[in-house]
Amino acid sequence: MELVDLPVPEPKANEAVVKLAASGVNFIDVYFREGRYKAPLPLVLGQEGAGNVTAVGADVKSVKNGDRVAWSGLLGSYAEYAAVPADRLVSIPAGVTNQQAAATMLQGMTAHYLSHDSFHLKSGDTALVHAAAGGVGLLLTQMAHHIGARVIATVSTEEKAKLAREAGADDIILYTQQDFEAETKRVTGGKGVDVIYDSVGKTTFEKGLNILRPRGMMVLFGGSSGAVPPFDPIILTQKGSLFLTRPSLNHYIATREELMARSGAVFAMIAAGKLKLRIEHTYPLADAQRAHRELEGRKTTGKLLLIP
Amino acid sequence: MKAIRVEQTGGPEVMELAEVPVPQPKPAEALIRVSVAGVNSIDGHFRDGSFRTPLPFIPGQEGAGVVEAVGAQAKTVKPGDRVAWSGTLGSYAEYVVAEEQHLIPVPPSITNDQAVAAMMHGLTAHYLVNDAHKLKAGETALVHAAAGGVGLLLVQLAHAVGAQVIGTASSEEKARLAREAGADEVIVYTQHDFEPEVQRLTRGKGVDVVYDGVGKATFEKNLNVMRTRGMLVLYGMSSGPVPPVDPAKLSDKGSLYMARTTLAHFTATREELLARTSALFGMIAEGKLRLRIAKKYPLAEAAQAHRDMQAHKVAGKLLLVP
Repeated sequence: MELVDLPVPEPKANEAVVKLAASGVNFIDVYFREGRYKAPLPLVLGQEGAGNVTAVGADVKSVKNGDRVAWSGLLGSYAEYAAVPADRLVSIPAGVTNQQAAATMLQGMTAHYLSHDSFHLKSGDTALVHAAAGGVGLLLTQMAHHIGARVIATVSTEEKAKLAREAGADDIILYTQQDFEAETKRVTGGKGVDVIYDSVGKTTFEKGLNILRPRGMMVLFGGSSGAVPPFDPIILTQKGSLFLTRPSLNHYIATREELMARSGAVFAMIAAGKLKLRIEHTYPLADAQRAHRELEGRKTTGKLLLIP
Repeated sequence: MKAIRVEQTGGPEVMELAEVPVPQPKPAEALIRVSVAGVNSIDGHFRDGSFRTPLPFIPGQEGAGVVEAVGAQAKTVKPGDRVAWSGTLGSYAEYVVAEEQHLIPVPPSITNDQAVAAMMHGLTAHYLVNDAHKLKAGETALVHAAAGGVGLLLVQLAHAVGAQVIGTASSEEKARLAREAGADEVIVYTQHDFEPEVQRLTRGKGVDVVYDGVGKATFEKNLNVMRTRGMLVLYGMSSGPVPPVDPAKLSDKGSLYMARTTLAHFTATREELLARTSALFGMIAEGKLRLRIAKKYPLAEAAQAHRDMQAHKVAGKLLLVP
């Protein structure tokens, strides 16, 4: 990743150009940088940004110059300016800063669809959240807590346990010391949980099936320990007629209506003080390499931002 | 008593009529004289060893009959009661023992044949549209084997809810039966590939839910005919088990949901079982749910019943009469 000088983009008829105030750094940026995910080269990385509109294309009606907007899911945010299809720009309300918006578009909307749509979490439900102190984990734990669900959180260190507790987790399992399967059975009196939110994947999937209550749901939304290999679906029957979904964010913000509703809900929670964000590390755009090294070295907790 | 006994697993021919002792009810059980026994796909899975149970065994999971004797602790049934049951192995016989909590009183307005058809098939259709995926008015459901035992009931229940029903069937005759049951469109899959047909019928959107008791033969195509975030409910495997599934596919095909269900988990308590059977018996008595008895065989011809079931010639319920 090298800092270069490029022309400021011109918006196509359906695009707007945004002067970036902040760009969110995500693990998916690493995958694109490594080539695990393919994109044509040369490539401007970054899928999450916030800033002010400086130019609009001829067909654009939804935003105008000066509007404070954010977006996610489109490459090009590691830059001072980005051209973005206008129908993918959402406005940032008062009460939410540019940095907060850039920090929560991806992870906040992910936590939101997981707790509100993948599984209709309600008061009294019990949810198991793996990696509860991770980016999505802390937001998901807070949202589940606000809904009134009981959250059983798995984490790897005492420091992360503290973060998860502060986020509202009711039970903490240090999976490096305890077997999360046995512990979950113990704290639920053998009943199991209603839903599991699993971004870890390979090392947790099968054991998770053992602690879902009958007709419970496994929401497998990531694979940080590796992808879950193909499995015999009869296992779902044997373990209790279980439900499984393997969602991705783009299917939960496919229409502009849904994108606006979901980002709006996340921003409202931030503005109301109901969603606490950990923005620990901001880096100048020129220091993108250091940001990636620290992200990959797992030395950081909380969200990393690049500031142009 | 006369009973069908399976000494070793295999094809329909392993089911032979034998003379065996009448079973004795345990304290919380009842002995029932079987009037009619039901035949289900799951009986074939036990018979051919796909599902395991100790040998020798008497197949058959459901029936209707009269209580003959009760164990010392039985409280809810007495000799002479008309009852039906589902999920109790041993029903292809003149007598069967069952735990009293699994016995369902049959009201006078319901015949034995109707009671049996309402058991596994009726209970399955009921949990599928109410709980596996709660079907709503305006949704579109794809029902495979729409003229089968469960299929014809599923189509009726889905239609009653106000959903659009697309069915699949293997012949024009079966398609006609499915349409009579309320299916809006039926694809004869032996003539047309259901994948492009469903795409066409839903104008490219896909269906909200697929109810599939077929399994292997339809799985991959099912993933291609569902709308984003749609639900695939796999409740059976009449064409064989679905091979291992890569979860990433569910994501790629639209963040789909899937469930692989069995009736036991939807009738786990007596309350839930009776709630479903009451609903079904009510609909049957009011003429709102029609049960199609495809054929009745003497108990001794159980093997033929399985051959006919496997040949997919059957539209409706098969019964055995001891």
